[in-house]
Amino acid sequence: MADPVAITGTYAVDTMHTIPMFEIRHLGLSHYVARFTKVSGTVTLDAEKKTGSAEIIIDAASVSTALVEFDGHLKGKDYFDVEKHPTINFKSGKFKFEGDKVVEIAGDLTMHGVTKPVTFKVNGFVCIPHHFRKVPACGADASATINRTDWGIVGPYPPPLVAEEVKLRILIEGYKT
Amino acid sequence: MKHFTGATAAVLTAMGLTSFCLTAEAAETTYTIDTNHSFPSFEIKHMGFSTFRGRFDKFSGSVTLDPAAKKGSADVAIEVGSVSTGVDKLNEHLKTADFFDSATYPTITFKSSSFKFKGDQLVSVAGELTMHGVTKPVTLQVDAFACKEHPFMKVPACGADAHAVIKRSEWGIGGKFPAGILSEEVTLHIQVEAQHKG
Repeated sequence: MADPVAITGTYAVDTMHTIPMFEIRHLGLSHYVARFTKVSGTVTLDAEKKTGSAEIIIDAASVSTALVEFDGHLKGKDYFDVEKHPTINFKSGKFKFEGDKVVEIAGDLTMHGVTKPVTFKVNGFVCIPHHFRKVPACGADASATINRTDWGIVGPYPPPLVAEEVKLRILIEGYKT
Repeated sequence: MKHFTGATAAVLTAMGLTSFCLTAEAAETTYTIDTNHSFPSFEIKHMGFSTFRGRFDKFSGSVTLDPAAKKGSADVAIEVGSVSTGVDKLNEHLKTADFFDSATYPTITFKSSSFKFKGDQLVSVAGELTMHGVTKPVTLQVDAFACKEHPFMKVPACGADAHAVIKRSEWGIGGKFPAGILSEEVTLHIQVEAQHKG
């Protein structure tokens, strides 16, 4: 769907098909992978002016690792401290296009009470009519590498036990409202 | 002099034997997959515009490695009913006959005795994937292979990221859903950590 007029508009994040996740090096041996299961948000696209905006809201307490005890640890003071900081938020008003594809999204990530700039590289940006909803829908695979200590997430384990670099990845799907 | 030579020979023989023993001992090490730090996952293209990811939360397995002989083996069993996507409704749907049919085929297994090394790096693992009652060959590409002493357990430990692209139709999965809804290609992503339990 290359028609910029059709693409331009406001999109709701499909909460069922959007997966914010992170990967972190563990003991210098393996990559630990976790996801958040509750996410919502809105993305606007203007494919003619090649601009866009996004607001993604993640429920920090929805962190999910396959190990309930460890989820509890991640929600605690050592890491996300979800009682004090229940929401992780990403806001952007800066989309970079290459042709009709979004390739980069720069914005502010608020996590653990700290707001810092993050630029996501966007792969696989595609907009096509949604098979069931019959409205334009877009998807992408966005990733960025951050240093968790910039957000004050120091935790009990310094590198190389648990790396400071964390790869953020958002598998995102949105449909036009 | 003769005595010295004899002693040297004895020492050399002892050293030779010692190193032979060490080699024999180190020949093959068995590692148990750390289920708390491993993630058998899959990614599939959803309706041609987004990527969906799921994982299995219950599994077990072991890997043997013999880097000197450049050999290895793997035996992994995954509980299909532990499929986890973050959405309960989807988990239940994936367990039905529309997809994995966990009631009839409760276990996914992967068995390999064909490990490929480049230098001391494990780079691929070829084996047989049994899923949904069908057994087919799959070759996992291995990245980020690392082995060292586990800092807490003080035992040999290894980790890696493995991936392979398969076609779900070869295992007869999700035939109701055409490629435009769910891609034929599924990427398996397995982040793994394992320790030698002695």
